[in-house]
Amino acid sequence: MATRSAALKVDWAKLTSSLGLRGQTAASLQAFKKRNDDARRKVQILSEQAQTVDFEHYRKVLKNQAIVNEIENHFKTFKPATYDVSRQLKAIDAFEAQAVKGAEETKGKVESELRSLQKTLENIETARPFEDLTVDEVAAAQPEIDEKTASLVSKGRWMPAGYKERFGDMSVV
Amino acid sequence: MPQLVPFFFVNQVVFAFVILTVLIYAFSKYILPKFVRIFISRIYINKL
Repeated sequence: MATRSAALKVDWAKLTSSLGLRGQTAASLQAFKKRNDDARRKVQILSEQAQTVDFEHYRKVLKNQAIVNEIENHFKTFKPATYDVSRQLKAIDAFEAQAVKGAEETKGKVESELRSLQKTLENIETARPFEDLTVDEVAAAQPEIDEKTASLVSKGRWMPAGYKERFGDMSVV
Repeated sequence: MPQLVPFFFVNQVVFAFVILTVLIYAFSKYILPKFVRIFISRIYINKL
């Protein structure tokens, strides 16, 4: 059976540790593994049991031959019920596709974030001290400086709020 | 003193207005905004 071989190939202990699963995900994975193990054990036990019935023995033992015949007839004509699992499989496939899509999206997002963080780190590492910076460079790094300047100038205010409190008043008058 | 001689009054008034206008324009357009920009940059750097 394809599903059983696939389940056997999964290294459950490694899966949890390598993916770094925690909390509910790990718990539900554990529950799924338990369900799988239980089903496998059940199949094992059932397949080990005898699958033939000695009807001759019952014919000898029981007086009512008709019931033995009927049961034998039932036994011979018994067919295990088959279930149509294609719908479930389809749903699982759809879910898998969606999960893979979500994972890809997350991967892309994480990668772009990593790139930007790397860039920031580079910036920090190669940054010069503030003493070596010019106002133009600071304003280029932070465009809101120019916007704020323009807005203050257009209002005819030549001193930004909080400047004197922070740096002191150098004017003589 | 020539500034008290009425003959030069018109000249003085004209130049006073011209110089005042040029000064106000230059300060408000170029010089003071530069200072404001420096102040804001200074505040920003200190905020980091």
